[in-house]
Amino acid sequence: MQSRPKIAAIATIYHKYSHAQHIVDRFLEGYGWNSRHHYPPMDLVSLYVEQVKDNDLSKDRLERFPTMKGYPTIAETLTLGGDNLAVDGVLLIGEHGDYPSNEKGQRLYPRYEHFMQMIEVFERSRRGVPVFIDKHLSWNWEWAREMYDISQNMDFAFMAGSSLPVTWRTPSIDMPLDVPVSEAVCVGYGGVDSYDFHALETLQCMVERREGGESGVKWLQAYRGDAFWKAHQAELWSHELFESALCRSHTLTPSRQGFNNPFPTLDEMKEIVKNPIAYHYEHQDGLKSTMILMSGLVQDFNFAAYVGTENKVLSTQMYLPMPPARTTLANFFSPLVNNIEQMFLTGKATYPVERTLLTTGLVAAGVDSLYTDGSKQDTPHLDITYQPTEESTFWRT
Amino acid sequence: MKRIAVITTIYRYLSHAQHFTDRFLVGYPKEGRWHHPNMKVVSLYVDQKPEGDQSSDRAREFGFSVYPTIAEALRCSEGKLAVDAVLLIGEHGDYPQNELNQILYPRYEFFKECVKVFGEDGRAVPIFNDKHLSYSFEKAKKMVDDAYRLSFGLLAGSSLPVTWRLPDIELSLECDIEDALMVGVGGSDPMDYHALEAMQCMVERRKGGETGVAAVQLIDGERVWQAGEDGRWSTELLEAALSRSDTPCGLTEKDGRTQDMIRNGELQKLVQNPSAYFIEYNDGFKATLLMLNGAIKDYCFAAKLQGESVPVSTQFFLTPTPNVTYSACLIAKIEELFETGAAPYPAERTLLVSGALESCLISRHQGSKRIETPHLNVTYQAPTKSQHARC
Repeated sequence: MQSRPKIAAIATIYHKYSHAQHIVDRFLEGYGWNSRHHYPPMDLVSLYVEQVKDNDLSKDRLERFPTMKGYPTIAETLTLGGDNLAVDGVLLIGEHGDYPSNEKGQRLYPRYEHFMQMIEVFERSRRGVPVFIDKHLSWNWEWAREMYDISQNMDFAFMAGSSLPVTWRTPSIDMPLDVPVSEAVCVGYGGVDSYDFHALETLQCMVERREGGESGVKWLQAYRGDAFWKAHQAELWSHELFESALCRSHTLTPSRQGFNNPFPTLDEMKEIVKNPIAYHYEHQDGLKSTMILMSGLVQDFNFAAYVGTENKVLSTQMYLPMPPARTTLANFFSPLVNNIEQMFLTGKATYPVERTLLTTGLVAAGVDSLYTDGSKQDTPHLDITYQPTEESTFWRT
Repeated sequence: MKRIAVITTIYRYLSHAQHFTDRFLVGYPKEGRWHHPNMKVVSLYVDQKPEGDQSSDRAREFGFSVYPTIAEALRCSEGKLAVDAVLLIGEHGDYPQNELNQILYPRYEFFKECVKVFGEDGRAVPIFNDKHLSYSFEKAKKMVDDAYRLSFGLLAGSSLPVTWRLPDIELSLECDIEDALMVGVGGSDPMDYHALEAMQCMVERRKGGETGVAAVQLIDGERVWQAGEDGRWSTELLEAALSRSDTPCGLTEKDGRTQDMIRNGELQKLVQNPSAYFIEYNDGFKATLLMLNGAIKDYCFAAKLQGESVPVSTQFFLTPTPNVTYSACLIAKIEELFETGAAPYPAERTLLVSGALESCLISRHQGSKRIETPHLNVTYQAPTKSQHARC
């Protein structure tokens, strides 16, 4: 490998606050990191953008950074117009853009299609290079599994996922390694097949550190609306953990006029949250996890779990500095880009892609459960086992 | 159960009195639980009742009385001091300004009323004073002296020293700091006070402890950039502080891009009227606050430690409105004062910052000349234990 790796970026669209803008801009413009304005020690040399619309910024970026060239196809972006693979790393950012949705409400982002075009070049060139895929691998489980298997067979470094596992935490704590965890909850916000994924990654980056590591998931059942409140009242998930997660929020919608930060009663929550959603699932080792979306009540992602032999509550918020209301920069992309950089430099993923393979499957199972009126989904295909990194990989410095 | 008197300027939605007092009434988030203080607000004095006043509604709902004078609020119609602690919040409300542009909040006057009752009734109880003790160092000094004379716990100051930090760093006690720089935004004198206190809670941990301030200078405009070029403040530390900001303006607002604001020249374009507050301490240490309105919207700190090649830096995280959970971090400290009678960190910090700010504003008023401040010989030791939110 040359001293400065060459990186290609494959994106669906490039506009203000699109994921491509957040990620690619950090490679081009640098970003604040550990008391410096840090410039990644690598060159983003080629860019493919599938949809160029009125709000496009790729033209501006190509003009301002002439060392980066735009190409009309994914293959050319990877070969730099030649015959064979000519880059040392690939960013695959299939988030945002105008794509159809299926009958289950999943947005059909072409991550698999883009990935397979990339694999064609890898195969033709008889080599692969490290690849980062933004968010889940694909909306389609079978495709995600195929992508993972290909990466294993071709033996290239592969990372994917959300910013949630790597962003700031308040408090700045990690799940201790190799301790028993009996139940875990994440309370977040947003919609199905979008922010559910972030909340699942929030859960998974914590619980994967439990005794024995990740064992895979046996089944999942989703709850929405009245079914959610019934399941909540039946204490299908721990109220103590649910409330502990809410107590980590910085954005609890005031349930009473004239008060800025009261804790809502159950009746007030029902009034505020019109469409609550939960994915409740059991891991192979018996751990129960619940991903809860409380749109309207919170605008952040909060985690709580029973940890250790005494079932102590451990809770934190995975903090997203989120523009435009609270910040101008979505700086949770900085630790994500920093991890990607390390992969490009070392050829090794800094955390296991199996995490995102599993959360990809959990999103699909959640969507399927909701689509079939909350039916229980057996998930023998999610027998995904892996070990966490010993070192914490979230933003602490 | 401890009985609390609240003495405040106004009580309406999002005033400091509202979100501080309400946390005693409805609880607040603490260490991953909803915490209800084992204390009861029994009385309230409110100086002004503008439109939107909530004092009578709160009194009715939570069963306490609003009294027409501070003495009565402290005595609760019982003829002598009838509370165990005083929450004194002299922030917000309609008060005149002086020639230094300081709003003349009657904190000292309120405090003196309390002290008068303490003296007459032969018993003193802990007081928390929100923000700086007073716009006047002379008055602030008397307040701290009163607390020593009558032996009651006194805590004061801003939420910034106790809020979350991104990243969660603390300077080790007795560290060798070579230089420190804080960036902040907002008007003078409310927001520069917060920024100065945030800076002080970091630098007070230096070797030897706090020695007091020998001189200050406040300069504005182009001279601020010139002072940077002349090496009066460190560009390296400014870069370090800005590396923690989530809110660069200008091009970032336009199209979302990250910015190297020092090297791309945008910083100087964006800040219409920068200010630099130079603080020279008695032990020779120097620290600088830069107020950079127009460039960023958050509060970040950086310091150069001896023997470390990379500066340390952090953002004091002002969590979003309306929850402003940073004030919950401060309430936890106030509760500790009320519960134990002892302040978890010294009021001298706030005393020194109150005085340093006043002298900075005098410096500006006198054509930005450097002012020696022998009266600011306030010495104290930083708390051994970290006091900011971290669990």
